[in-house]
Amino acid sequence: MSLKNLLGDWSKYRKGHEEGGFHKYEHMWGLAIDLNKCIGCNACSVACYAENNLAVVGKDKMLSNQGMHWLRIERYWDEPQLGGDDRDFQERGASFLPMMCQQCNAATCEPVCPVAATYHTPDGLNAQVYNRCIGSRYCSNNCPYRLRYFNFYSYYESSWPAPLHMQLNPDLSVRDKGVMEKCTFCVQRIRTAKDTARAENRKVIDGEFNTACAQSCPTKAITFGDMLNPDSAVSKKWKAQQVELGKAEQHKANRDLRGYRVLEGLNTDPKVLYLERVREV
Amino acid sequence: MDVQAEVPNAVPPVGEHKGDKVPQPIEFPHDIHADKNGINCMYCHTYARRSKVAGIPPTSKCMGCHTVIATDKPRIKQLTEYWEKHEPPQWNKVHDVPDFVHFTHEKHLRRFIFDNEGMDVSRASEVCAFCHGDIKKMTVANKVKPLNMGFCVRCHEKNGGPSDCWKCHK
Ligand code: SF4
Repeated sequence: MSLKNLLGDWSKYRKGHEEGGFHKYEHMWGLAIDLNKCIGCNACSVACYAENNLAVVGKDKMLSNQGMHWLRIERYWDEPQLGGDDRDFQERGASFLPMMCQQCNAATCEPVCPVAATYHTPDGLNAQVYNRCIGSRYCSNNCPYRLRYFNFYSYYESSWPAPLHMQLNPDLSVRDKGVMEKCTFCVQRIRTAKDTARAENRKVIDGEFNTACAQSCPTKAITFGDMLNPDSAVSKKWKAQQVELGKAEQHKANRDLRGYRVLEGLNTDPKVLYLERVREV
Repeated sequence: MDVQAEVPNAVPPVGEHKGDKVPQPIEFPHDIHADKNGINCMYCHTYARRSKVAGIPPTSKCMGCHTVIATDKPRIKQLTEYWEKHEPPQWNKVHDVPDFVHFTHEKHLRRFIFDNEGMDVSRASEVCAFCHGDIKKMTVANKVKPLNMGFCVRCHEKNGGPSDCWKCHK
């Protein structure tokens, strides 16, 4: 819990995950994204807007970096040697990278929050309590992935022109201005799935629910699930790529394996695995 | 006099609140229904035991009895008018929590009634009274408990409820 960390020893917290501290969690939600399958269609990003009541800010605000997209597609062009310079077929050299909150186990955003509005849940999620946030934006400055978004303006239910307000998701609030927000791995869906499982006196079944991005991806590039369940599709993918949580650097036996985590070396221990051969020219 | 304290395995939340009167299209007498006639709260607020919201009963539920009972009373005549016009009375919300709060009736009823040893379902109103006050004695419901974070947290502490922020915040 952040408050405990706030008063405690930070360097210990930042190193804690290496000692396997995360094993005490009840779940550990994680993602695996196959970049070879991703076609950059943005369906995941649109689904995220719909699921999470994200405000559509318009072109001007987007250009001044005030977009509220919790999930963005980053586009990269290949080196000229790999086809990026082909003037006739520009699309040939593009690669896409869907970036959402990486739900780091050693999240850099958490220790710097002055009011402990962002903290780690027993589900291993990096939570953000909106109405506790005072908008200092320290977390955003400390996020190496730039995946926290600040609400510069008030968007109310009425900001969605009728009848679009009808599609607002009642399971989460429409955040007010002056607070930080970010991808939550669709915590409202996790909550519902856990509640249903509990009412039926069973454990959450792998694949019985999905994040909005994983559900809408036409090529099934995104896999979501519980990393603590060794039979879940996502933990199998991590295992196949020999990527382990709680390790800053992966030493792979097989150099053909293509799993990596973004900025792994920073020791944030992200829970999003990307599958793409790292190409060097 | 604290009737609520008698619910087994439960420490009722503390705190009082003086809510304004909320006008309703028909002054529904909770006392006649729940107290005098002993109708269980969950007979009308049927969703309480299975979902987040307790639910307002459909007019058809009222008419189930009131096509034969007390049909000559002015309020029932008013109700019958609504029914014949196919228009539900526009009830006003009395107990409301902010948008960023996730609260489920179902879990609380399970903890305090259904999974609570020594608790009888017929005494549901005593559990409802934890947060809604002694509605059994009210006519039109009035907010008499604060329903704020301190009120919830104090009860969670006493009764071993979760203290993880994201359990209640959304
Ligand atoms: S929906 Fe799937 S294919 Fe489309 S951009 Fe997102 S991850 Fe890539």
